[in-house]
Amino acid sequence: MDGLYDDWRIVSLSPWPVWLLAALFVLAALGVFLAARGLKRERRPSRRFLLLSLRTISMLAAIFVVAEPGVRLLQTARVRSRLAILVDGSASMQLPAGSRGTTRTAEAAAWLSKVAPNLAGLSAEHALEFYRFDGALTPIDEAAARSGVEADGEKTDLLGALRALAGSSGSGRKLAGAIVVSDGTDHEDLRGGVNGASRKALEALGFPVSTVAVGGGTVKDLAVESIAVEDFAFVRNTVEIKVAVTAAGIGDVDVPLVLRREGQPVSQQTVNVRGGEERYEATFSFVPDEIGEFVFTVSAPVYEGEAIEGNNARSFVLKVIRDRVRTLLVVGRPSWDQRFLRTLLKNDPNVDLISFFILRTPSDQPKAPDTDLSLIPFPVQEIFDTQLKSFDLVIFQNFAYRPYRLDAYLPNIRRYVEEGGAFAMLGGESSFGDGGYEMTPLGEILPVEPGGSAPTEELFPPRLTEAGVRHPITQLASGAEANQAAWARLPELPGINVTRAKPDARVLLDHPHFTVGGESAPVLAVREVGRGRTLALTTDSSWYWSIVASGQGGGTSRAYERFWSNAIRWLVRDPELTPVLVQAAQRSVEPGQAVAATVTARSSDYGPASGADLQISLVDAETQRILRAEHVAAGVDGTARVELGTPPPGAYKIEARATHEGKVLGSGQDVVAVRAASLERSDVKARPDLLREIASVTGGGFVQASSGGLPDLALAPPEVVEVGRAKDRPIWDRFWPLAVLGCALAGEWILRRRWGYA
Amino acid sequence: MNRRNFLKALALGLGAIPFRASAFGETSKLVIVQGRYAGEFRPRPNALRRLAFEIGARTSIAAVPEEKVLPLDSPELFRFPFLYLAGAGELPALSQAEIENLRRYLTYGGFVLCDDAGDGRFASSCERELARVLPGRPAGRVPADHVLYKSFYLVDRPAGRTLARPYLSGVIEGTRLAVVISGNDLGGAWARDELGSWEYEVTPGGETQRELAFRLGVNMAMYALCTDYKDDQVHLPFIMKRRR
Repeated sequence: MDGLYDDWRIVSLSPWPVWLLAALFVLAALGVFLAARGLKRERRPSRRFLLLSLRTISMLAAIFVVAEPGVRLLQTARVRSRLAILVDGSASMQLPAGSRGTTRTAEAAAWLSKVAPNLAGLSAEHALEFYRFDGALTPIDEAAARSGVEADGEKTDLLGALRALAGSSGSGRKLAGAIVVSDGTDHEDLRGGVNGASRKALEALGFPVSTVAVGGGTVKDLAVESIAVEDFAFVRNTVEIKVAVTAAGIGDVDVPLVLRREGQPVSQQTVNVRGGEERYEATFSFVPDEIGEFVFTVSAPVYEGEAIEGNNARSFVLKVIRDRVRTLLVVGRPSWDQRFLRTLLKNDPNVDLISFFILRTPSDQPKAPDTDLSLIPFPVQEIFDTQLKSFDLVIFQNFAYRPYRLDAYLPNIRRYVEEGGAFAMLGGESSFGDGGYEMTPLGEILPVEPGGSAPTEELFPPRLTEAGVRHPITQLASGAEANQAAWARLPELPGINVTRAKPDARVLLDHPHFTVGGESAPVLAVREVGRGRTLALTTDSSWYWSIVASGQGGGTSRAYERFWSNAIRWLVRDPELTPVLVQAAQRSVEPGQAVAATVTARSSDYGPASGADLQISLVDAETQRILRAEHVAAGVDGTARVELGTPPPGAYKIEARATHEGKVLGSGQDVVAVRAASLERSDVKARPDLLREIASVTGGGFVQASSGGLPDLALAPPEVVEVGRAKDRPIWDRFWPLAVLGCALAGEWILRRRWGYA
Repeated sequence: MNRRNFLKALALGLGAIPFRASAFGETSKLVIVQGRYAGEFRPRPNALRRLAFEIGARTSIAAVPEEKVLPLDSPELFRFPFLYLAGAGELPALSQAEIENLRRYLTYGGFVLCDDAGDGRFASSCERELARVLPGRPAGRVPADHVLYKSFYLVDRPAGRTLARPYLSGVIEGTRLAVVISGNDLGGAWARDELGSWEYEVTPGGETQRELAFRLGVNMAMYALCTDYKDDQVHLPFIMKRRR
């Protein structure tokens, strides 16, 4: 065979179509068959055999002549397939491989150097490709892999890297397999091991993945591995926080875990670490008593010689919200004013209403024994002592305190408001001065004080004051004009409790012509008291804004509902009514990531405070130290976005204060936790089991790097392909096939004549 | 004194609350308005005054014992959310203006008590007309465990001058009983003349039945003002104990 060619095969060189050749073959077979049938009566087997042989030979010779068989000489070559070697470049590879102290990256590099000759042996059939992977896959050269890849990736995404590899073109060459050198600390799709979707994805790769595990030894470390808690909790309801702690190599110790809220210890638990176990759980429970957003930190002490110190604490943000506005309504006597307010509060799904109505005073004579009455004692002590703090809002409606010996409890109510509660007093003959509240602790926190005797009953339209035009409580419609018109449409009110506003109160509605001490008598006034708020409505006829308004030519009770909804939201400090809203871009920030926030300022009429001066600072929640301060101007929409740098791990408050044209609009804050360490850097545990599973699912092999050998790679041999030349050589185109055909036919004819068959 | 006794003392024995003349007038007080319609709309002229007096004397409700009469199509009606509609005969078909006014009144919080002083025709005609006022919400029996029967007194059955109808019927608006229809002539049991004599004899139960009629009247006023207050969780154990 020519030296150019290294392969051959038999082919037909006949120009005739295949079907014709097939028909000829059938005819030839038929020829043999007919001959055999014609010889059935021949008793001498030697004759039969000879004649049949001659016929078969002639038929075969005829086929050979027609089919023209030949030899095709071929030139072929083997194509080297790819073998990819993926080296883990995530930050966990910086961790010690074991107790000896070398890093996992160094262990991987050492293994690669050790198996270099074996890999070189594979290069005849496979093209070796080297990659570094973390969250992404990057090609590197072999020397870089052997000298140790840079391990600074914040992610380990094994499946992602293998998928990226499967998707790479590799100049059309087939991927025979991959070798992954890693510690297996995957926190992405394979964090829960190989199961369901990840198993399918691995199987779909279509090539064997062999794995080499590094970092199998024990590393001394204690870590707050994870914290399971809801994003928000309800105030005055128990919150449960589940903390998972991992411990390795620290021996038998009782580890104290402390839960802190912005530096203040809230609760403590002890975890009894015993040699064998690695993962421990602790549950903290506490009852938040304040609404807002807070950073909590769970921390454990740092023991000597730990691989990572930063993973001994972990912070999280908890938003404490109110379930519903828990409202206490205390009413001196049933009246229409009480009836419409109760109905409104009762029907409001955001309000949890507890009401106490005085249905009978000691002077009333029901003419029936107590057993015939549905009355209950008024649980004064329970409400105004034990339960008081559980309410978000307390309303006294035409209620005089003296007959119920409430004197002793009035200081409680004042303290409750000063500490963040809300109190409203509504008018009537038993309210304000008429109810004897002057000079009492409750009188001190009210926005108004008694102002003399009552005027004669006369209907009057309450008038929006300058403050009332902008205040959220008195916004019945959006836009100043629409709001004024909405108030003007409401029915006039009869009679008021005569009071005067205190200096620090804001009067929102006043009497159009009745004055007290030269000032219009307040109808609606509000006041900030300590951390709480109070409201005084000096009429007992706000119900006129409901049914009476509804009776006026197509009117509705919407104004009444809106007014009370506004009042309640303002009293309980609805976050949406805050003049300065601070929103951190992310409440939980990875180390090294920038802390950013959006600040929205509203002017006193609650419209956007365009161009407002915003002073924004990042404050350490534990030490109250200001780490960074920014001074920016709000945009047209009253909003500004700021970046506040990359603070070290810990809990921070973002505080903002807004001023506009020299006037303080208000302030607000949000919280942010910078995580002590990313999962990649805090989870010290290598996962050879995961690597073994990957190898097993994809059909690859697994070894520990310390073994110093290659795993069973299960690589498919490279494909063989024709690469160009081919030459056909006819082999039966000589004279002798024809001669054989002629002789066989002639021989058969002669014998048949002689033996009497013709 | 333990807490229970102290609370009892609070509920029962403390001195009177001072009432003083004020600028508030009648607006938040209870004024029961007599509804005027074409026909004999006031079969028991002295009934409401007496009921208001009894309510004021027995409960903390400030009720005005004065007569107030308003036509059913009056916009003034909305200032008085308790409407008393009485009659001894048939209630004539209401005009469109009356229907629309009453519909608005009931929808936005008004309460209507229909009292049949005759042979039952008024009660059934009220049911018929109210079906026009609030279409799709026919009057039904008020269940025996309704808060109306425990809003102040624990009452176990309806009564009036007669016991013609052993049940009350009513129409629900939202979650609230907006209309109550009595077929027992409540007004007849309440009516008392200027000299202090009861105007009508109560049968068959006599004065006990009259007291029951007053208790029911008080409960209706209490329900109109406090709605389902006595269904609040805090009252349940006390009421259960007394009903046992």
